[in-house]
Amino acid sequence: MSLRTIKIISILVTITGAIAIWQNGTFRQYGDQSGYQPIQPINFSHKVHAGDNKINCLYCHSAADKSRVAGIPTAETCMNCHTKIKPDSPEILKVAAALEKNEPIQWVKVNDVPDHVVFNHSRHVVAGLSCNTCHGPVETMEKISQFSSFSMGSCVSCHRTHREVILGADGRPQISAEKSEKKLMASTDCSVCHH
Amino acid sequence: MTEERLWRKFLETDEHGKPVPYKSPIVGISRRAFLTALGYTSAAIGLMSCRVPEQKIIPQLRQAPEQTPGVSSWYASTCAGCSAGCGTLVKVRDGRPIKLEGNPEHPVSKGGLCPVAHSLVFGLFDPERLRKPLIGGKEATWKEVDEQVTQRLTPARTGGKIRFLSNSVISPTSRSVIEMFISGNEDAKHIVYEPVSTSAVRTAHKLTHGVDATPMFHFDKAQIVVSFDADFLGTWISPVQFTREYSRARDLKGGQKEMLKHIQFESRMSLTGANADKRIKTSAAEQIESILYLFGILAEKGGKSFSVDPGAIQTRSLSPAMKKQIASVAGELLSHRGSSLVICGSNDTDTQQVVNSINDILGNYGNTIGIDNPTLQAQGNDREFAELIREMNAGEVTALFMLNVNPVYDCYSSEEFAAGLKKVPLKVSFDSSLNETGSLADFVCPDHHSFEAWGDAETLKGTYTFNQPTIAPLFETRAYQESLMRWSGDDRSFYEVLRTFWKENLFPKQAKYAKFEEFWDNSLHDGIFVADSGPTEKRAEFTSNDLDEALSRLGKQEFSDYSLAVYQKTTLRDGRFANSPWLQELPDPITKTAWDNYACLSPGTASKLDLEEGRVVTIKKGSKAVQLPILIQRGQSDDCVAIALGYGRTKAGKAGNEVGANAFPFVSFSEDTFRYSATDISIEPTENRVYLAKTQTAESTLDPAGFKRPLIQEYSLNDFVNGKHEEERAEHQTLWHEHDYPDHKWGMVIDLSACTGCNACVLSCQAENNIPVVGKDEVGRRREMHWLRIDRYYEESGEETKTRFQPLPCMQCDNASCESVCPVLATVHSSEGLNMQVYNRCVGTRYCANNCPYKVRRFNWFQYPHDDPVANLALNPDVTVRSRGVMEKCTFCVQRIEEKKIIARNENRPIADGEIKTACQQSCPADAIVFGDLKDLKSSVNQNKKSGRDYVLLEDLNRNPAVSYLAKVTNSEDVGKEEH
Repeated sequence: MSLRTIKIISILVTITGAIAIWQNGTFRQYGDQSGYQPIQPINFSHKVHAGDNKINCLYCHSAADKSRVAGIPTAETCMNCHTKIKPDSPEILKVAAALEKNEPIQWVKVNDVPDHVVFNHSRHVVAGLSCNTCHGPVETMEKISQFSSFSMGSCVSCHRTHREVILGADGRPQISAEKSEKKLMASTDCSVCHH
Repeated sequence: MTEERLWRKFLETDEHGKPVPYKSPIVGISRRAFLTALGYTSAAIGLMSCRVPEQKIIPQLRQAPEQTPGVSSWYASTCAGCSAGCGTLVKVRDGRPIKLEGNPEHPVSKGGLCPVAHSLVFGLFDPERLRKPLIGGKEATWKEVDEQVTQRLTPARTGGKIRFLSNSVISPTSRSVIEMFISGNEDAKHIVYEPVSTSAVRTAHKLTHGVDATPMFHFDKAQIVVSFDADFLGTWISPVQFTREYSRARDLKGGQKEMLKHIQFESRMSLTGANADKRIKTSAAEQIESILYLFGILAEKGGKSFSVDPGAIQTRSLSPAMKKQIASVAGELLSHRGSSLVICGSNDTDTQQVVNSINDILGNYGNTIGIDNPTLQAQGNDREFAELIREMNAGEVTALFMLNVNPVYDCYSSEEFAAGLKKVPLKVSFDSSLNETGSLADFVCPDHHSFEAWGDAETLKGTYTFNQPTIAPLFETRAYQESLMRWSGDDRSFYEVLRTFWKENLFPKQAKYAKFEEFWDNSLHDGIFVADSGPTEKRAEFTSNDLDEALSRLGKQEFSDYSLAVYQKTTLRDGRFANSPWLQELPDPITKTAWDNYACLSPGTASKLDLEEGRVVTIKKGSKAVQLPILIQRGQSDDCVAIALGYGRTKAGKAGNEVGANAFPFVSFSEDTFRYSATDISIEPTENRVYLAKTQTAESTLDPAGFKRPLIQEYSLNDFVNGKHEEERAEHQTLWHEHDYPDHKWGMVIDLSACTGCNACVLSCQAENNIPVVGKDEVGRRREMHWLRIDRYYEESGEETKTRFQPLPCMQCDNASCESVCPVLATVHSSEGLNMQVYNRCVGTRYCANNCPYKVRRFNWFQYPHDDPVANLALNPDVTVRSRGVMEKCTFCVQRIEEKKIIARNENRPIADGEIKTACQQSCPADAIVFGDLKDLKSSVNQNKKSGRDYVLLEDLNRNPAVSYLAKVTNSEDVGKEEH
């Protein structure tokens, strides 16, 4: 191969790479995985379930208000409805097959924080944060993707400003930006998340 | 040039004088071109290749209703570490048991646990466990094993002896299964073998009270305890239970004015002796004669008529000073009749008989010693085991079943046992890891780990606890009870048998629940069932029938220059846990040495023989010899050579093999009991030296100039009761801004009076916080990783050596010197008083560790491997696993604090005092650690900080630590106040 050929090929490769970056929006901070949309073993559509049918997030992700993880629904949860609803759809047949063969479904993790971060879902859910705040408009997603960058800055900016929980008209906690003499609720201590 | 040259001159020029670019003959491309191409392509690849490594998230197919992913569930169970049967709560997270904690409602442990219990988690996920049954050393299936064993068992059942050899079986249901298996045979017996046995207590009580049992010792009912070499806080019978009762009897935190007095007569420095109010150092001869002399005085003054010939009491080696001491001890005992306790650690029936007589004169039976309600722990029968060896060697045994025993390693005559074993046609072992004995068996049928198995336990008569499985068996193991049942043609599961046993035997013994299912579920939930006690049995009466013979035999004992004492360490015990790296690395509480055993010599003996520490010597008794480095032990009697058992294993596994030397050959069998002391030994120095891996070499609190540093504050009980300990604390002055703590401020108080130095807290912390094991070499370089350490200091005054323990977690200083020197702010102060360590920020400068005056910071010098997927299951998912180059330290279990804070906030309520328990606090059998919120005015940590005994370590350095200590109070007259 002559040097000229190599130069041409590598310039083309660089241009392709630059287009890929351009398509993704901006240059990314290291570790920023927003927009990550991997292929899942089963083509589950949040738009159909959470959007069109308005199923509550907590129906499937039931551990979100009890535990540090939100939990991916078990195959049994799917079959709660799908033994009757569209049981012959090819994607739903995959769920039924998993239950029969006793092989758990291996979803690809989309929303993730690094191992050195501890995040507790239940505290945020019980405090009144809506799931969309961090997970974006999930009910419009045909295929789930990561909405937020989950950078430390995105967490800390909220912790710094939203410090107090006030009850709204419906008696449920509302997030307020005002400071008052009430106790700090969202701590900015390092060891709250890094321990 | 037609010829290709693979080398050329530095700079070749063409006909115009221009340099010719080098073209590689292989690739045909010049260097410059190659580098250019390399640069472009790597830039391009770098730009495109930042992809997320794909991670899978796999939910269960069917949600178990009691499990919420990410939330821990707790199961009440029983510890299987020894025969004490402490109740435990097993923390299960996502189907994996990851931590053991004491069950506060259990009458044996009352919430405390010893170091061995915490290491059982590691044992469950030990990658070296057997995964399948073995036939002749090769993996097989259970079907094959059952076929072959049943086939070979049939001829063995008639015309031969079948023996079931096990350690103490504390499970009544399992005992019934063993009974059932044995009863189907002509001549079958269940022999209980404990390598370190206390059977002399039983045999002595058989002679004096007609009851073949170990009595219950009630330390909480006693006001004075005199122990002759009984390590009851360390390893004797039921140390957690005794520590609990002992510390409650000595507790001064609630305003008490009285304390249990503890006097110890011993030759070697044991953990119990280190805690005694008065420790009297005795040689082997003095030890026996002290017991005899004490008995003589009490027989005379005790008011009971004993026909004892005064000439039978030998006291030729007792000095007048010693006699005076014993007389004063006798006086104290007599003034506490019925509330005193005299115990002895010797395994000689004669000595124990004398001790029984002493206790009888003092009226302790029925008060501090319960012989009518004996304990079911420690069931070893030495005589039957010796008989078994004889039977095996005579070829009489046709089948031998071995459960949790390893006699080829740990019996007093392992060659005889191994030789006898060869003559047994059918040898079956139930070991879960292959050990020295199991490798000689024909069939190895690995039993479940206790976390995978069903079972129950009864160690206190009438109190039944469960052993619940917390994970499905990881490998193809099978409960030994089920193996026995299969070979008897019974196809039931052991779970069924357990339920049937409880239904038939225990359900009728209560009246609370009408239905069995209710009873079963509630008992499982509580973990404990106390049966309605029937009418109290007749009190066993004391008879002194064999006493005279015992006294004359004791009087005839000969002693030599050196006397060997072999003992159990609180960590490895009898060697069954030698493959636990956690226990190997835990430094011995007294010698602070890890990963080794050694021959302890007194300073006098070592200097007499001109030996320095670490010098290898050969200890010989007759034909038995062992080579060990010596360790100079303060406070040890000059004639005593002490060697720990449990080392020198050859088939323990990666961690346990070739560590130390085996001292079991020095155990002997005489007159129906195993003996752990020997005379006629010689010490021969060699030229070799070994470096002992010690975590602490400083022995006293004296600084090089000879001043006593105020690390341990101590008062006598008299001074404490009279308020002489209330001294003025210097007013706290500081140039720093005080921190603002709006919500909580976490603080801790450690009661030095309660701490016995057992190191259970250290292991609990290791299990909770994913602390790595570093190995002997690194420990020798002072790089052990334990976040919490227990310092041990000696104070010598004349012949007496006092030992003091001081646990040191991170002090969480308000004016932390580590915080101000971190260049990247990886350690900063939290709004709740914690000194936080942020692992992902740390770059490994190590300035913080340098600046810490308490030296509580630990640095990850290496990437401690976490390669094995099975072993990784033991990790706590709430705590980051640190990588190389990161500093770590005690965090006050911040993960537990955060967990409880979140639960409390979710439930919209304040945190109750005592709701958050750090791992060390939870495990302590002596309740020495108190942790809580200093902003909560009613919290117990606040009350304790206001105590006059409260003091802070290195106060002059003005670090303002959150951890303070309560001064040690000794129930002894000759303790002066510390001089600064």
